Amino acid sequence: MIDAIGTHLIRGTLVAGAFLNLVAQTLIGVFLPPYRYKDVVRQFYFVANQSVFIIVFCVCFAAGVTIIESSFHMKLVIQNDSMVPGFAAMLILRELGSVVMALLVTSRVGAGYAAEIGSMQVTEQVDALRMLGIDPVRFLVVPRFIACVLAGFVLAIIANLVCLYGAMLVSTWKLGYTAGGFVTAMRTFVKFQDLVFASIKGAAFGAVIPLFSSFFGFRCRAGAEGVGLATTNSVVATSIAIIVIDFVLSFVFSYFY
Amino acid sequence: MASPVIELRNVTLKFGAEVLLKDIRLAIEKGENFVLIGPSGQGKSTLLKLMAGLIAPTSGDVLVEGKNWRTMQGSERADIARKTGMLFQKNALFDSLTVFENVAFPLREVLHASEEEIQETVEKYLDAVGIWHSKDLYPDEISGGMQKRLGIARALALRPEIVFYDDPTAGLDPITSRKIVQLIVDLQKEMGTTVVAVTNDMNRAEQMAHRIGMVVETELIVCGTPEQTRVHPDPRVQQFINGALSGPLTVNA
Repeated sequence: MIDAIGTHLIRGTLVAGAFLNLVAQTLIGVFLPPYRYKDVVRQFYFVANQSVFIIVFCVCFAAGVTIIESSFHMKLVIQNDSMVPGFAAMLILRELGSVVMALLVTSRVGAGYAAEIGSMQVTEQVDALRMLGIDPVRFLVVPRFIACVLAGFVLAIIANLVCLYGAMLVSTWKLGYTAGGFVTAMRTFVKFQDLVFASIKGAAFGAVIPLFSSFFGFRCRAGAEGVGLATTNSVVATSIAIIVIDFVLSFVFSYFY
Repeated sequence: MASPVIELRNVTLKFGAEVLLKDIRLAIEKGENFVLIGPSGQGKSTLLKLMAGLIAPTSGDVLVEGKNWRTMQGSERADIARKTGMLFQKNALFDSLTVFENVAFPLREVLHASEEEIQETVEKYLDAVGIWHSKDLYPDEISGGMQKRLGIARALALRPEIVFYDDPTAGLDPITSRKIVQLIVDLQKEMGTTVVAVTNDMNRAEQMAHRIGMVVETELIVCGTPEQTRVHPDPRVQQFINGALSGPLTVNA
């Protein structure tokens, strides 16, 4: 029993060490040449441009649910839903917009990265890069990392603004607010810094997606099952990391309110 | 006497508790063709990857041009990696790139060659391996033999001083196998490279080897020239080269 716990502890420490090593190599690679601008732009297009529609579509529904549920519960507890715009806007900017965006990007982009790098690992393409004197982290991870940080930042702004717009539409349609009334009510609760914090969260979430995906891709075992497992593990680990980072950042940002 | 290009000093490799290779000692001279033979699953490809620096030994040292993989820093490793080329067992071609781009890739990424130089070099190597006509196809659109040829062209594109071939004739018909090995020998003579190759095919081993070594039961038996290998006293070597069903290699199979 103790042996088993010890073995798990050692293995866990080694895995964590390997992940931190990848993080360190990636961060160093961001600042050292060669700078792969074309790869960054291509990845940014893949991450940001091709994810926008899915994110806009999903956050619109999330906005509707937020408004309707907020109104329902406020009416139930305080018999008045006048604070719904402000309350919903605060929830959207501080949590919903960035987290929903990040989880959607994880399922679309993170899973793809893990499968792509995992396939390259099992077909020895990663070894082939090493044999050509090309560092796989610099070549594969760094451009994806930069693109995802930038895309996370931009997508968080888009997701939050669209989510707020969606909330406003639902409020006017379902709760009888005017657009101006919604904005006025909203502005008493939220400030511009909320959008800044939301975009910082987006960038942080964007950073973890390629790191976990690449980590599990590089550790991929041979076969279709290995690639599937690497993909699943990367999505699960990234989703957990996003939730944990959300908590940490929310805690840090609370000192600025 | 010049120091060997590749040297293995008491190399042992373990995966967990399992010993894969034990106390391997070997020296390969410049310009030599050294061929590793042996039954499947005994560690030939692993030994090749140890020499190429893709796997680190559990103990012992692997030296390339007198430099130890274990103590080499990042830029030194990259320099040595650029002096070596490798054909992988399953070719490891970049499947998102065309035949042309697979060979152009190292020239563009490593040598930062101009487009004219890339065009000229890629044409030269694809022509040498006889697949220039397929330059616009993707790796999964060409045959297994052509994929091997493409792998060879990519491995040689940086004009490496050492080339590792991991089972260059795996899955190929006898005629294509002979052609591929002849191509390897011709290119080796032309470029003066040191070659280390892995194969299960004794005929192909004899066709290309200056020296043969057999990997079996965690050991490396250095058998000598093809002629010396044929009369080697170890019964495991004799069983392997004769393909006999009974013998020490099949006792525990």
